[in-house]
Amino acid sequence: MGKYTAALVPLKASIARVRVETSNVRTYYVKLPDGLELPKPGQFNMLYVHGVGEVPISVSDLDEESRVVAHTVRFVGSVTKTFELLREGDLIGFRGPYGIGWPMDAAYGKNIVLVAGGIGLPPLRPVIREVARNRSAVGKLIILYGARTPEDLMFSYEYGDYESIPNTEFYVTVDKPSEGWRGNVGVVTNLIKHVDVDPSESYAFICGPEIMMKFAVRELLKRGFKTNKIYLSLERRMKCGVGLCGHCQMGPYFVCKHGPVFPLWFISRYFWVDQI
Amino acid sequence: MSLTGLYVGRAVSLRILFSELRRLGYVVIGYKVVDGVLRLGELNSFEELAHDVEDIQSPGKYSLVSGDFYRHGPDSPKRFLYPPTLTLFKVSSEWVVSVPAYEERNIAFFGLKPCDLASIKVLDKILLGVDEYYTSLRKNLVLVVENCVSPGGTCFCSTMNTGPRARDSFDLAYTRLNDKLVVEAGSELGLKLLNLLEVEPIDDVTYERFEVMMRNASEKARAGFELNGLPEELELRIESKTYEEIVEKCLGCANCNMVCPTCFCFDVFDVPLIDGSAERVRVWDGCLNFTYGQVAGGHFRPDLWARYRHFVLHKLAYWIKQFGMYGCVGCGRCITWCPTGIDLRETVKKVLRGGKGG
Ligand SMILES: Cc1cc2nc3c(=O)[nH]c(=O)nc-3n(C[C@H](O)[C@H](O)[C@H](O)COP(=O)(O)OP(=O)(O)OC[C@H]3O[C@@H](n4cnc5c(N)ncnc54)[C@H](O)[C@@H]3O)c2cc1C
Ligand code: SF4
Ligand code: SF4
Ligand code: FES
Repeated sequence: MGKYTAALVPLKASIARVRVETSNVRTYYVKLPDGLELPKPGQFNMLYVHGVGEVPISVSDLDEESRVVAHTVRFVGSVTKTFELLREGDLIGFRGPYGIGWPMDAAYGKNIVLVAGGIGLPPLRPVIREVARNRSAVGKLIILYGARTPEDLMFSYEYGDYESIPNTEFYVTVDKPSEGWRGNVGVVTNLIKHVDVDPSESYAFICGPEIMMKFAVRELLKRGFKTNKIYLSLERRMKCGVGLCGHCQMGPYFVCKHGPVFPLWFISRYFWVDQI
Repeated sequence: MSLTGLYVGRAVSLRILFSELRRLGYVVIGYKVVDGVLRLGELNSFEELAHDVEDIQSPGKYSLVSGDFYRHGPDSPKRFLYPPTLTLFKVSSEWVVSVPAYEERNIAFFGLKPCDLASIKVLDKILLGVDEYYTSLRKNLVLVVENCVSPGGTCFCSTMNTGPRARDSFDLAYTRLNDKLVVEAGSELGLKLLNLLEVEPIDDVTYERFEVMMRNASEKARAGFELNGLPEELELRIESKTYEEIVEKCLGCANCNMVCPTCFCFDVFDVPLIDGSAERVRVWDGCLNFTYGQVAGGHFRPDLWARYRHFVLHKLAYWIKQFGMYGCVGCGRCITWCPTGIDLRETVKKVLRGGKGG
């Protein structure tokens, strides 16, 4: 069988656990089918719902020993909305892992700044986990996270864990506060003022809506970050995940296989171009 | 590469080639006239191969008249090698995943034009050894190519270096000079086929005529821009407003993508069946379609000019970076089959000139 036709055929996987995150986000813990590689932070899998469709979803957590992989899904369209019906023990189709993830090796020995907007936090959570596990390998960890409202904040049950990681700063903001919110209000890029690190010794990883990433990049460039130290996870329509259906093209790049994580210098010729 | 150099025989012996390919068990596919259009299809007899017709092509227009040379119609080899719809797999209600077995077929394209031969070379780069269906058909594919003595009104293969004479990658290439046939073989099989024809090494007079014909044809199939430096010139003008001017006429129908012999993009659909099973089906898609860049809660190319720009830049700039060759072979189909006659050649020239708004 040809590599690619085979690559589009999913393996059967069962849902080990479902965790409700917010009103329209749940995390699905899936047992990695035999033979598949363990995903790296920033990689994604293609999840298929029987008879409904297939969507690219980033890995939001990973237990290497039990080979259980978490995917945090926001219900927004025809496929993701059917995820709401999935329960522990249900089967889904699974293929991956795909793409190039966060440059963990390069970031060892440096500071890491994470900038996440909305559903952009789940793809960065494995980075936080890795730093926590291997604390001395990385310098300072700064986490900046923004959501629309306090109710949209993801993983709020574990913010205490983030804050207790040594040499770590964690800032949260919301666009629209609700009653009782005593934290920051405003867009996540406002938090970049807290980034008190030497840019030449630091990496910034950004994940969120494209417009938010553009603002974040501008702020980081202003603070002296060079284009080879800023990494972004791009989003595009995806139908195959393996560089063939064409949909995810951004200029000459297939986001699914050349990305989804790119250093800014790599894509800067195209990143700023309207509707590229 | 030619294995033999040029030989000359009689045009009527094309029939012998056809019969031999059939005898060897090939499904012979060539142009036939269907509803006033040249369509690629299986030929059961040599008579079915289109003859005594000519296709008149210009931006947005296509018609068949009587004549003695034709180029092509809306179909390209892609239609057979990378079909418009293909079932990828089926999942039963008990979650048994099965992949359909593809029937083995030995296909011979008969009378394919050099631009379409070139399109197979482009698809090879993308699909060979990667797509199972394509690879299985490609393995035993036979390519009998007819050089174009008379390029049509939308052809620009000379500019794209793909025609009007095929230079390599064919089994057999022939050129009709009235009742004479100039042939060369490019493979072992081509050599065997050539040996069935009553041919002799080309004489000086015929050679001279052949050369003049091909030179004239080559002059006719120019786009009016040069390839040299084109990808970088186009990318330097990536924010050109010319695309906005051009799409004032564009309907966003994606005909250009569908008729293009190299566009490979596909969408995937899920078809639930009555027995509780479901199929995933791959279907041709194109970057001019509105949904192509649409995502839940957003759109990366909501404006038509951005989608059209992607088409142009993918063919003539990005493809070089992705696959080391151009994605356009100069067949002119996107020009002919555009309902409003948007002309890729003119677009490129206009973008290079700087258009109205630069
Ligand atoms: C690399 C990558 C990682 C992602 N990680 C996550 C994640 O961790 N959590 C999460 O909730 N979402 C994630 N997304 C977005 C998620 O894939 C879309 O929300 C989802 O595809 C929407 O599908 P739908 O069928 O519900 O929507 P519809 O609008 O009905 O979409 C129909 C089809 O279009 C395609 N499509 C639509 N929107 C997108 C999109 N935004 N991105 C890619 N394909 C799309 C899909 O093939 C989808 O099945 C990620 C996207 C990418 C590209
Ligand atoms: S872009 Fe147009 S001219 Fe070029 S190969 Fe495709 S259909 Fe032919
Ligand atoms: S992106 Fe557009 S031009 Fe490129 S192959 Fe796909 S449909 Fe064709
Ligand atoms: S998702 Fe199909 S090419 Fe990237």
